[in-house]
Amino acid sequence: MLLAELIASSLRMAVPILLTAIGAVYTERAGVVNIGLEGMMIVGSFWGALGSYYFGPYMGFLIAMTAGAVLALIHAIATVTFRVDQIVSGVALNILAYGSSRFLSQAFFKMATTTPHVNGLFKIKLPFLGDTSPIIILALVLVPLAGFILEKTVFGLRLRSVGENPLAADTLGINVFKMKYAGVIISGVLAGLSGAYLALEHTGMYVEGMTQGKGFIALAAMIFGNWNPQGALWASLLFGFAESLSFRVVQNAIIPYQFIKMIPYVLTLAVLAGVVRKYTPPAADGVPYERGTK
Amino acid sequence: MKRNYKILAYKILSPIIAIFLAAFFSSLVILAIGKNPVEVFYTMFRFSFRRLDSVAIILYNSTPLIFSGLAVSIGFRMGLFNIGIEGQYLIGTFLAALVGFSFKGLPSFIHIPLVIFAGIIGGMLWAYIPIYLKIKRGVHEVISTIMLNYISYSLIHYLISEVFIDRTQKLLIRTPKLLPTALIPKLHGFLSLFGIELPKHVYLNWFFPVGIILAGIIYYMLYYTPFGFELRCVGQNPDASKSAGINPENVFYKGFLLSGAIAGLVGLSDLMGYFGYMDLDFPRGYGFDGIAVALIGQNSPFGIIIASMLFGFLKRGAEGIQTLLNVPMDTIVILQALMILSIVIINKVMSDYIKQIEKKGVA
Repeated sequence: MLLAELIASSLRMAVPILLTAIGAVYTERAGVVNIGLEGMMIVGSFWGALGSYYFGPYMGFLIAMTAGAVLALIHAIATVTFRVDQIVSGVALNILAYGSSRFLSQAFFKMATTTPHVNGLFKIKLPFLGDTSPIIILALVLVPLAGFILEKTVFGLRLRSVGENPLAADTLGINVFKMKYAGVIISGVLAGLSGAYLALEHTGMYVEGMTQGKGFIALAAMIFGNWNPQGALWASLLFGFAESLSFRVVQNAIIPYQFIKMIPYVLTLAVLAGVVRKYTPPAADGVPYERGTK
Repeated sequence: MKRNYKILAYKILSPIIAIFLAAFFSSLVILAIGKNPVEVFYTMFRFSFRRLDSVAIILYNSTPLIFSGLAVSIGFRMGLFNIGIEGQYLIGTFLAALVGFSFKGLPSFIHIPLVIFAGIIGGMLWAYIPIYLKIKRGVHEVISTIMLNYISYSLIHYLISEVFIDRTQKLLIRTPKLLPTALIPKLHGFLSLFGIELPKHVYLNWFFPVGIILAGIIYYMLYYTPFGFELRCVGQNPDASKSAGINPENVFYKGFLLSGAIAGLVGLSDLMGYFGYMDLDFPRGYGFDGIAVALIGQNSPFGIIIASMLFGFLKRGAEGIQTLLNVPMDTIVILQALMILSIVIINKVMSDYIKQIEKKGVA
């Protein structure tokens, strides 16, 4: 029974990382590095809570995804149209997300760091998992779906070609800029959804800093999963497992809890240091595309 | 010659346009919560420049940002992104505090340099991990430094609340107080020689001139030493540098450690000049401010000094609008993010424009 409980809680912890990691697969496959995913999760959690507070959880999720998409649109304009450094733009968006959420939280709720309690969606009763958020099931469905879209559809083929060799794609008549915009915005929608999951389903309110770097960890999960959704699933489960394990260790209190809190971050470093395997990123990942240059 | 003027003009013009653009978009946010942006910006100015002590507070605010901006700019110069200033200065500040409260019986002129040295070591130590991981294991420095920031938060929390907690008092979770010999003197005495009398509640200290001098040293290093030349070469084209006989990995190591060393100084003005101890609420975020400062200052040491003062002013002004107009201070965080975005976009547009002019000139 303890094991089932551990698996269930690993899954719950893995979902926000997984959703964002799937988004990261889309944007990076289109050749745009999006380090602003953390910020898109932050706006997702805040706007999700705000939406749910005023209009109920469904609108909450919808507003959160829109907020993520808007931030992603800014990233796309900056990095695809103006070809600015993708990392700098992402960092600016993270700061913008943090600042604007604090600002708006103060303006709406007179508190900079939390919102009042908000409602989540209905729960589905499942064997082993117990009361389950439909978002968990959605996330699990999205894994094969994203795999299918990327590998088997025309849209996916074009998206990938833009990330591998934009010049060739352009020559073949594919609208490189449109595909890159699509990849970035999909990642923003998913990160917004993931943030809303944290606020509405996991905690029942928005708390400043609740994303705790999960956007960055999702990037690591995407890399560890070798830029594909199935890989991202296993990597996210690993991170989710580490996190849920850490809660259990805290209860035992043998190791100081500050060290337990470090586990996801240390694990991320260890995973990226290639303890396990070599990676193959898309060939033109992170390189802005400009017409008329080689 | 004409071209150089144009480049200089755009280097100065871009940040100014960026600031106005960011102010414009922030105005929309201020309007959205039903406040008057003109009044907000006017209040910021009036609150900041009305009195001399307020100007001194701006300089005090700008002190950590000078160090942080310089540390970030060293990374940018060689094409690396050190987002880890945040963690590096927290570790540096902690080591400095440790030396500050535990080494007893030293005269000030030995103790102060020792504390500063500890800060530098702390910053370098925390910068060594990501650069090692990058060069040996190919881990991108952006993700690793972000992870190390989170790790440093927890580590500092542990060290302050469990290991080195001040047990002489029961109420607060903080380190013991630094010995008086480890505290940095204020600038008041020096300034009074020139007839400038600052009130007691201003904490402007010697780290401010140290920051200015350091900017000068960095400028000299970048443009008049072989290492500075290598650093700039590697930043512009690592492959070409390699064929020119420069070992990029070696430059990355040294440059990143230098960046970390400077990062180690970021928190010391607050530690040795204001708090006198480190607690869980020790100011955070200077590392991220430094990114904005370096970009607005166009990675030039003197630009960074000016940008630091701009942000020092914004911080002071933010206190004003919060207390007087009830507009959240976080307005300036939004302003700052928008400034970063505007400056990189404007720089790109401007440099494309210059390239076009050059092309025409050749044809």
